[in-house]
Amino acid sequence: MHNIFLILLLIAISNSFDTARELFLKSTINSVAAPHPANIRNVFRFIIKLLQKPKVYLSFLCSICSLFVYLFVLSKVDLNFAFSLDSMHYIFIAVTAKIFLKEKVGLKRWVGTGFVVLGIILVTLS
Amino acid sequence: MFKKKLTVKILLFLILTDILETFIQFCFKKSAVSATGLTVTSLGDTFVFAKTVISSPFLWVGICSVLVIFVIWSTILSKIDLSVAVPVASFSYILVPLTSIIFLHEKISGLRWLGIFCILIGIIFASLSSKEKIHQETDA
Repeated sequence: MHNIFLILLLIAISNSFDTARELFLKSTINSVAAPHPANIRNVFRFIIKLLQKPKVYLSFLCSICSLFVYLFVLSKVDLNFAFSLDSMHYIFIAVTAKIFLKEKVGLKRWVGTGFVVLGIILVTLS
Repeated sequence: MFKKKLTVKILLFLILTDILETFIQFCFKKSAVSATGLTVTSLGDTFVFAKTVISSPFLWVGICSVLVIFVIWSTILSKIDLSVAVPVASFSYILVPLTSIIFLHEKISGLRWLGIFCILIGIIFASLSSKEKIHQETDA
């Protein structure tokens, strides 16, 4: 087994890329009017508009970076360990969505996020 | 437009996303196994690692499945509330460890299962709160 802290750090990096991707995507989608009514033609126009925003390409880049770091982690540890810890992005996204997107995070969601934290600690200790 | 009722058809699609997600993770693991022996200490090693995993067909099967799951998931979310869809879809957190045991011969301790269940409870809890905003929209 490789150094567990290094693996944790790498999973955290992979999840940070995931989080950045979600934030880029959400802030881009927020900046474009939602397709209304949601028929195929309007959705297609919506996607074309999104593809004109540079942030969308940043989010693609983040996806690729995240995938490669994750694959590297998978080459070193068991799948069940890596996949369980991959839920770290639930914590990151809850915190960053509140800070950067000014979203409201309710009590239920914080309780849920707390359970995810607890689960990650237990999986790491096992 | 948001519905709360889980129909059999939507449930089947949700189970399909669970199975696909598990399949994706399995493919990624298989593609990474080919690079297990590699140590990455320099930038050059990073490229060697990337080249090794890219040349694995498992990676491409996995990436194609990601695109398929994206389409299915988007369709599901246009039919049903996120707070209903996420709990069903997060059963991949149990399916993936089961697949690891059966097909990859990994071992999972009781403590790890406990951790996995905590994560699952957390995700379900977090998703239940997603209906707050949607309800205001439908009530209006």
